[in-house]
Amino acid sequence: MNLILLYLLLLKATATSFSGLTSLPVVRNDFVVHRQLLTDRQLNAAVVAGRTVPGPNGLYVVSVGYFIAGIPGACAGWLALISPAFVMIPLLRYVGARAERPEIRSAIQALTLAAAGLIASATIPLARDALHGPLSIAIAAGSFLFMVFTERDTLWIIGGSALIGLLAGLLG
Amino acid sequence: MQHVKGRYTETSGMPEDTIAPFSLGRFTLLILRVANLTFGGGDPTMAVLFRELVVSRGWLTRERYGLIYSLARATPGTNILAFCAGAGWQVARWHGALVAVLAASIPCAAAIVWFTYAYTLWRSNPLAMSAIGGTLAAAVGMMFAATFQLCRPRWKPGNRLRAAVLVAGGFGLSFGLHMPPIEVLGLGALVGLVWRPSET
Repeated sequence: MNLILLYLLLLKATATSFSGLTSLPVVRNDFVVHRQLLTDRQLNAAVVAGRTVPGPNGLYVVSVGYFIAGIPGACAGWLALISPAFVMIPLLRYVGARAERPEIRSAIQALTLAAAGLIASATIPLARDALHGPLSIAIAAGSFLFMVFTERDTLWIIGGSALIGLLAGLLG
Repeated sequence: MQHVKGRYTETSGMPEDTIAPFSLGRFTLLILRVANLTFGGGDPTMAVLFRELVVSRGWLTRERYGLIYSLARATPGTNILAFCAGAGWQVARWHGALVAVLAASIPCAAAIVWFTYAYTLWRSNPLAMSAIGGTLAAAVGMMFAATFQLCRPRWKPGNRLRAAVLVAGGFGLSFGLHMPPIEVLGLGALVGLVWRPSET
């Protein structure tokens, strides 16, 4: 795939999201559904990779770029990840005072809530790919509860679920 | 070395002798350490940076930190990188913004490339795939949790109907009607402009 196009498509996803995984529906729509350059399993693995290493939650786009076009793709993903951050500077200089305007805050809140619905929608196909039996469903439920009710690091979820999967593989 | 004295003490709100001397190198090392060694995404990282930049070093005032934090939340893309760009620009203008974003993103980007490469190597190994299968199932739970956690702060008395309509609308338009995500988000923002939460 053309790297500039890859960068622009990933930039579209990162520049229209307001937190890490909210770009996921756009990425899935472009690369899994329309262009079929990525499978749901790879996208899911990219999300796991993004949650496994420290750093921003949106880092998974680097992994998406790597799956599509190797190291150059990862570079395109990294550029798409960092580019929107520089929008911050004109915002800080010129429109900082307006960030607290009620209509702007309301629009951002609404957009975030709509993004939550979009994430749930994008998770369902990934769940179909990843959940195949009682054990995987139990792992998914356990990781949900762990995330919601504890403050512990997500590395515990990744390590614990990998260990459970490994033990299940060893036992048969 | 670029010192805080004069230029930043006015905004730090701390006595000059308690402010750590500022240099771009020290600032870069701080961002490098905090952004690449803090797990859990932007919020924990920005919390650690509050302690380091405001409380421990006095390079930013609480008010300036609050403004940068709010704007980072309103900036498209990854909040923590926008925060680093804003904090860097505040303390050392364009050089600061550039090194902060690079320091916050390059090491963890290299780590994720390594992890993804390892995944492609291990996918032919049944035991490794069992372990990876466990992590993929966990990712599903984490993504549902992300949905829940995005909604929870807005799920307040007086605003629950609005929150429910927006979340259900986003889900239904995408999953049921297959509307492209950007259109769903744009529609969500438009609804937010006309239907405001009660606390604002």
